Amino acid sequence: MPEASPRVLPVQAEVVPLGRVNQVACAVAAAHIKALLGLSSQVVQAAPEPDFAYLPVRGQHDAAALMDYLAKRRPSGVIRVGVTEADLCLPVFTFVFGEARLGGGVAVASLHRLWEGRYGRSAPRSLAYRRLAKVVCHETGHALGLEHCQELGCLMRFAGGLTTLDRLKMWFCPACAGELSARRAEPFSV
Amino acid sequence: MTRDFRILVVDDELAMRESLAGWLHKEGYAADCAAGGAEALELLGGRTYDLLLVDIKMPGMDGLELLRKMKETHPQTLVVIITAYGSIESAVQAMKQGAQDYLLKPFDPEELILLIAKLARQRELIRENQALKERLREQERTGWGDLVADSKAMRAVMRLVEEVAASDSPVLITGETGTGKEMVARALHAASQRAYGPFVPINCGGQNESLLESELFGHERGAFTGAVQARRGRLEMADGGTLFLDEVGEIPPKMQVDLLRVLEEKAFTRLGGSQTVHSDFRLVSATHRDLAALVRAGEVRQDFFYRINVIAVRLPPLRERDDDIGLLAQYFLLRYGRETGKTVEGLTPEALRILNAYAWPGNVRELKNVMERAVVIARQPLIGKNELTFLQPDQESGPELISLEEMERRHIQRVLEAEEGNITHAAQVLGIDRRTLTRKLRRQEAK
Ligand SMILES: Nc1ncnc2c1ncn2[C@@H]1O[C@H](COP(=O)(O)OP(=O)(O)OP(=O)(O)O)[C@@H](O)[C@H]1O
Ligand SMILES: [Mg+2]
Ligand SMILES: [Zn+2]
Ligand SMILES: [Zn+2]
Repeated sequence: MPEASPRVLPVQAEVVPLGRVNQVACAVAAAHIKALLGLSSQVVQAAPEPDFAYLPVRGQHDAAALMDYLAKRRPSGVIRVGVTEADLCLPVFTFVFGEARLGGGVAVASLHRLWEGRYGRSAPRSLAYRRLAKVVCHETGHALGLEHCQELGCLMRFAGGLTTLDRLKMWFCPACAGELSARRAEPFSV
Repeated sequence: MTRDFRILVVDDELAMRESLAGWLHKEGYAADCAAGGAEALELLGGRTYDLLLVDIKMPGMDGLELLRKMKETHPQTLVVIITAYGSIESAVQAMKQGAQDYLLKPFDPEELILLIAKLARQRELIRENQALKERLREQERTGWGDLVADSKAMRAVMRLVEEVAASDSPVLITGETGTGKEMVARALHAASQRAYGPFVPINCGGQNESLLESELFGHERGAFTGAVQARRGRLEMADGGTLFLDEVGEIPPKMQVDLLRVLEEKAFTRLGGSQTVHSDFRLVSATHRDLAALVRAGEVRQDFFYRINVIAVRLPPLRERDDDIGLLAQYFLLRYGRETGKTVEGLTPEALRILNAYAWPGNVRELKNVMERAVVIARQPLIGKNELTFLQPDQESGPELISLEEMERRHIQRVLEAEEGNITHAAQVLGIDRRTLTRKLRRQEAK
């Protein structure tokens, strides 16, 4: 029998709801990863509530702990993107919208702070989803190995607040787009 | 740019180090980690870091001690303290000991990004200005005195000057106004065997003829009304040295004949005198005009032109000496800073860009004036674009006034280039038909 040539799979993305998470938001995230990063992506079964990552002193969840969790048993070639409603932080940072391991295939994004609207009201759903899509695409970019970009409007530009986040376009600049297509074609890049 | 800014994160908590370093990597910085003061010092021994982010409270060697130790061995490395609530006092102490700033943990990523960008920019500025100063120091070793010449074009000029200095052949220096003709003439003199003799300049432009004549040849008492005393002329004063005829193109043709004779015979008489005076000088002339054209126009005698133009030195305009602009600017800055007692250290990259883009119609003299003015109005050690605002309207080398026809010609050339010579496409872009364009091109070619 002829030896089967090893099947080379393109990089895929999995959106993992971390506990109870708005399902529409997860679907939006998966759709944008597909459309903007060109990865096949789907929402997979929800993980249990991530209580293990809760930091009582901060009243927030540790993004690093969530990434460790997602990295466990991650098949190579698959990017796992956790989505949570919990407020995320890092030991050094007051909060983060999302976080990723550079070229490490894991990322998380939080809806928590994306609901903030003008005049103390909460943001319309569509705006919160748009914001989540941006955070998820940005972090997935990192997970694939992309660094921050200085191009105005590019999704790989660092956004430390909602104003900056809202100014980003749903767009990767040509340099980042080029980088992305190079990385997603390389199945073992992550 | 960020890649050559290397950061070391020193914190005893693994999670802190990792999240900070991970984030710095995403920003494009090269970052390493150390778990404590001792490990940090070890890493510092192996490579250079631009910035240390240091936690204060660490077991063993704490942040303050590390700061003290490394400031001795690595005074150039910047330090930012990252500390938890409650250790503000030590943070303040650290600032006193030379730390640049401090951040309270946990901090906003935005805060960190701004701080590091600021420090990286500072570091880059210091590096650039140090490089300029280093080049100036090298210039001092050339032995050309105050003359700054590091560009290829000017190095070639100075090589020629050094080669011909030893001979006695007449030299003609040409170049636009302010390119340093007189300065080069002095350098030529200083490099010659006549260096210990006098350098005698005379400006032949803007003087009436008889005045110029007596300035050059000198006069005896009573040679003309007002000549109450005998006076030596410049030709005489230059004996044993160099005579510098500036604006040589302005000498009237009649005097050119007289001078020609002096150059052949090395002897002349004073005005109103009969005694022959001998003078042995080397002639260096300068002009910003096109002497060959003046010869054609009959304003300069051909024989005179040939006599003074044995060796030709052409000074390039400043805009053709890209490498020199920053260096000259820095040179004038430091000089005026010293003269006015003001602390000026250098230029921001933006200022440098503005200076490099400007056309400098007045050449080095203009640059010198601009820098003098910048130093006067400067409010900080680095000259930035605010000190150069008066330069910017002319930045695009001034609006050139051209005819409609010329404008059309240039525009057609531009479109043709953009369309890679394809006439059909170019005609479409121009909104005319192909034949009209061909006709226009043929007409332009005919000219
Ligand atoms: N290479 C140089 N390095 C330092 N200073 C220079 C240099 N070239 C010119 N300068 C300065 O610029 C000014 C103008 O130079 P200089 O008088 O030699 O120019 P010039 O060519 O004789 O001008 P003009 O044609 O107007 O007489 C002087 O103050 C001189 O010190
Ligand atoms: Mg001059
Ligand atoms: Zn990022
Ligand atoms: Zn980009």
